[in-house]
Amino acid sequence: MNKFSAALNVHIEQIREWGQREVRPAGLEADRNGAPLPPDHPYFAGYVDFRRRHPGPVDDGAVPEGPAVRMAANNEENAYWDRGMGVAAPGPGLPAPIVTAAGTPEQREHFLGPFRGSEIPRWGSFALTEPSGGSDTAAFRTRATRTDRGFLLNGAKCFIGNAARADWVLVQANLDPDKGRSGQRSFFVERGNRGMTGIKVENKMGLRAYESVSFILEDCEVPRDNILGGERPEQTSRSSAYGATMGTLNTTRVGVAASAVGLARSAYDEALNFAKQSGAFRSIRVRDRLEAMHRQLRAAWLMTLRAAWKADSRIPNIVDASMAKVFAAETAQDLASAGMEIVGLEAAAGHHLVEKLFRDAKALNIVEGTGQIQRIIMARHLVGLPR
Amino acid sequence: MDFARGESDEIIAETIGRFAADELRPRLREFEAARTVGESVRERFAALGFEALDIAEEAGGAGLGLLARVRTNRLLAEADAGAALALDRFAPAIYVIEAFGGVEPLKSLGMNLGQSDLRFALVMDPGAGDTAGARVAGHVAWIPAARADVLVGLGPQGAWVLKDGFAFEPVRGAALHAAGASAVRFDGTPILAWHDPMRAARALARIRIYYASLIWGVLSDAAGFSRSYALDRVAFGKPIAHHQALAFLIVDMYVAVARLGLLIEDAAMAIDAGEGRAVGAAAAAFVDAIEASRFVGPNGVQILGGHGFMRDFPVEKAMRDCRALGLLAGGCDSAREDAGAGLAATISERIAA
Repeated sequence: MNKFSAALNVHIEQIREWGQREVRPAGLEADRNGAPLPPDHPYFAGYVDFRRRHPGPVDDGAVPEGPAVRMAANNEENAYWDRGMGVAAPGPGLPAPIVTAAGTPEQREHFLGPFRGSEIPRWGSFALTEPSGGSDTAAFRTRATRTDRGFLLNGAKCFIGNAARADWVLVQANLDPDKGRSGQRSFFVERGNRGMTGIKVENKMGLRAYESVSFILEDCEVPRDNILGGERPEQTSRSSAYGATMGTLNTTRVGVAASAVGLARSAYDEALNFAKQSGAFRSIRVRDRLEAMHRQLRAAWLMTLRAAWKADSRIPNIVDASMAKVFAAETAQDLASAGMEIVGLEAAAGHHLVEKLFRDAKALNIVEGTGQIQRIIMARHLVGLPR
Repeated sequence: MDFARGESDEIIAETIGRFAADELRPRLREFEAARTVGESVRERFAALGFEALDIAEEAGGAGLGLLARVRTNRLLAEADAGAALALDRFAPAIYVIEAFGGVEPLKSLGMNLGQSDLRFALVMDPGAGDTAGARVAGHVAWIPAARADVLVGLGPQGAWVLKDGFAFEPVRGAALHAAGASAVRFDGTPILAWHDPMRAARALARIRIYYASLIWGVLSDAAGFSRSYALDRVAFGKPIAHHQALAFLIVDMYVAVARLGLLIEDAAMAIDAGEGRAVGAAAAAFVDAIEASRFVGPNGVQILGGHGFMRDFPVEKAMRDCRALGLLAGGCDSAREDAGAGLAATISERIAA
């Protein structure tokens, strides 16, 4: 139940080779600098070239695994080498499935087209979270109002990945507050829009390799064509931009879970290597700790794979996805913390990879639905917890 | 990669599930008091054809592998783990004989599993295999069985089989009463004895998964029962399940059971496939079962409050049963040690491999 096909293993091996040679050093460089690598850093051009040469399995039937399992395998291996560099990778990123699902044909071509076969690094970005709250999407305050030429956006967004370097940011705003969540729509704000101000790249505890950006939308004017799905979304494949967004987040939870497993595996390997080299492995207490880490890691990976497999098999997986997300994220945190314990003062000195992993891991239990939100989602399904 | 279950799995699950719900669940306190499931229930279970589900076909079993046994055990133990043990005349003792000698020793014992009425029991004997051919002697304070015709001893170095020279003495027992509860004294010359640490480890792996799957069933039921209770029971104007403290606890219990199930099935598949990681995976799954039982068992009682402490509800039985199951097969610490020792060989291992 947990074996990949030979074709997918070939792809994973390619990521592994690239990750060891390029991704980990780049991630460590960004971490030491305390800032993401600049967009013109040679790493990103190299990444685009690597992806052009090794695009990975596609839905042509040559690989038996479905897209969710492939994504999980890809994310796990990438995050093993550096989770932050994975988020910083050039490409349309999180908005791609949203635009594909809910965008008009013209929007798909205009906003996603430039990424196809591009030889230069370019980024897309998705702006959901606001300073007033991250989990309660119904309480978001960013508003969109209609004008003769399109829309005016007003509000603020925070912790938005890659927003300062993106060609465009897909911004979630409420066009009809009386309708609550269903009044929310998404708008493409293109680079250079003067209404997008106060752009600040945050200074983070970990995952320093990618930009987390805060910005203000101040009478930010966007053309009529830039509302996702057009003015009448019923003409698109999804009736609600909010629904498309939330549907995407359900899918990406499994991706985050896989990334958490990759990070956790890295922490485990670091701890085990250290324990063996230092002789600590001879201690039964250290072996017990490593055994618990290994077991937790294995369970997290199996949970993630099952949630992905259900998605590919079109079996409802909301509970599985939330379970995988919360368990894998907590596993990453637990294993990185236990890794610090095993490596000891070498970790406290700040030079050891496990110390970086410890700082990186915490975010995974916060992004794309905190551990508490995942438990609420599960409780709604398991015991009908009221909203 | 496939998490799907085949048609035969579904048929087995449906048949066993119905048997457990109709024949075992309603009578669990009756079995507990009688310290047996009784011959009629045993005969009806045998008639279903699932007695020797995972024993080799040449020995009269169905040859369906450990994974099928694990899933069957889970369903039976959801109703009553003690009854599940009582209904199984062979496992896990017979795993030892299979691991060391294949089917030939089974034949030499004069049995065709499908027809004979022999009953096997297992004891852990640290000295087993040390001196092949010599007398074996010892005392085990408790096993969940009332009697046996063949006693099998297993230790890290090897194993032995006794047909005579052992006696069962009834004891009160802390749990799993439907299976009976006995102290075992043995002092005799084995009819079969082996020295082979590798085979001993492989036999122990199957045994650990066997017991872990029973724990899985017990915990699955404890989590499910307490969840249902929490939806019915109202406090402060709403079902107690809708108070977030309990809602989160119920979620975490669900996650613990799901995690355990994945590890057990993963290890069972590894054993069935003869993978090198099987011994470590089985030890880890057994440890996980014990850790999960320490969390889910008591919290199943906790959710029911004072009612949970009363024998009117099955959660107190679940708490006792899963704790006792975790003491078998050498217990938690030796399993943790085996799982930890295996890690030395898995450095930088790809977890998915």
